[in-house]
Amino acid sequence: MGNIDVNGQNVATNEEGFLLDPDVWSQAVAAALAKKEEGIKSLSEDHWAVIDCIREYYTEKQQAPMVRKICQQTGFPLKYIYQLFPSGPAKGACKVAGLPKPDGCV
Amino acid sequence: MTPSFPALTIMEAKIRQLTEKDLERALQVFRRSLDHEASAYLNSCVHCGLCDVSCHYFLTYHDLESMPAYKLKLVTDVFKGHFSRLGRTLPGLIGAKKLDHAMIRAWLDSLFGRCSLCGRCSINCSIGINITQLIRAARGALAAIGLVPPGLQSTVDTAIQKGNNMGIPREDWLETVEWLEEELQAEVDDPSARLPLDEPDVNLFYTINPREAMFFPLSILAAAKIFYAAGESWTFSRENYDVTNYGLYSGDDAVAGTLSNRLVESMLALKAGTLVLAECGHGFNSNRWEAPEWLSKHYPFPVKSVLEIVADYIRDGRIRLDPSRNSKTVTLHDPCNLVRLGGIIEEQRFILRHAVADFVEMTPNREKNYCCGGGGGQLAMTNFAERRLEAGRIKADQVRATGAEVVVTPCHNCIDQFMELNKHYQLGIEIKTVCEMVAEALILP
Repeated sequence: MGNIDVNGQNVATNEEGFLLDPDVWSQAVAAALAKKEEGIKSLSEDHWAVIDCIREYYTEKQQAPMVRKICQQTGFPLKYIYQLFPSGPAKGACKVAGLPKPDGCV
Repeated sequence: MTPSFPALTIMEAKIRQLTEKDLERALQVFRRSLDHEASAYLNSCVHCGLCDVSCHYFLTYHDLESMPAYKLKLVTDVFKGHFSRLGRTLPGLIGAKKLDHAMIRAWLDSLFGRCSLCGRCSINCSIGINITQLIRAARGALAAIGLVPPGLQSTVDTAIQKGNNMGIPREDWLETVEWLEEELQAEVDDPSARLPLDEPDVNLFYTINPREAMFFPLSILAAAKIFYAAGESWTFSRENYDVTNYGLYSGDDAVAGTLSNRLVESMLALKAGTLVLAECGHGFNSNRWEAPEWLSKHYPFPVKSVLEIVADYIRDGRIRLDPSRNSKTVTLHDPCNLVRLGGIIEEQRFILRHAVADFVEMTPNREKNYCCGGGGGQLAMTNFAERRLEAGRIKADQVRATGAEVVVTPCHNCIDQFMELNKHYQLGIEIKTVCEMVAEALILP
């Protein structure tokens, strides 16, 4: 088990940095996850567009969207998603968006 | 003193609930999975200890629990304690043990938590014991009583219930293929370029790791571009495209057979020529070598790695490559299941020598290569993630020593581990599949 510091509060993550409880997610948590997990000092508008899109999808379907959906929704080309989140959509973007580790994400 | 296993906390409630009946069932499954060969192996270890330094876990932790011979002993002791006359009557004399709650914890921690089933100990064993097979047999016994670590079990369950290990709904898969087809058409500037679905009577039936469709589709595009350039007749299935088989790692033969059989059924229904396995180490080992055993079935068609197909294209002049388009220094990681356990050793090297300008080997390589640390289901088992990353240091050091800027590996499982090693050890490398390198170098007609 791990944890991250969000403005002085401890938020629990699993061994791989995914939130243990997706409900504790907030923008501040996202910023802290982005910094710790992806080395992103401050989240840009484009980062938020991806994060919002993932959260919206997850809230509705309880699963992570395919990268196709993320591209479609945000209008970003595929390669730009990997630039925004170097660890990729799953261990980068979905993690920052507060999702649990996606099924079969191996 | 009772040993403690902090990595098993998440499973402790389940372990405590185990009844005598559960343990009996585990033993039955264990016994059934041992053929004559395996039983002979179980009586063969001479405790020479040569295997210790072959194992990336031992080289990381230098503890007893990580020694392959110790892991094997955990399995052997139980075998003797239940299935040998001497072990049942005078267990103390030969170190025989019962499968009890304490042993279950030891099995889980060492056999799931300190082993990636990479097989490196087996080729360094002075007796030639197939240690991997025996550890897998013990995993199968744990699987029979619901004790596969949760991340790995949920991967298997998702594959069984949803048709692929990431739970991709069918419409989403079809939509992604359609999208990639448009991308391919744009890239090769030919509106007739296709990613066919359920096309009957084609030469190749191609499969993927669902991770590609879900999050990293550039490798699908790369393969499709190569097939296009070679003028290949091929198809994807609308239903059964998942090359992975995490039953190999959970040890559950029945489940593993069910998953592999899906590809067989689709192959036969479409009357395709060759089953082609994407760049996926364990998917290759499962579907090429293990599945006919799980299914007790002779495959009426050849099963090949996509690397064999691409190497043939180059040999036969069906595709032409310009290696100067890949000018960075490239090294190659050998996935254990494809290389040491799978026998695909030279094809990837042959391909890279044609596709990149500067290729350097890491040391050791080929069948002697170290596991990246991500195999054996380790990437799925979050409770052992810390060990996985620490044991990956050997691989990180190997990569660093080459000075390469790009690591190519024909396995999506390895790629995921490399992405984490890249971050954790700050390697500053790019990570690619073989097909991605080939697609980059393709000279289109």
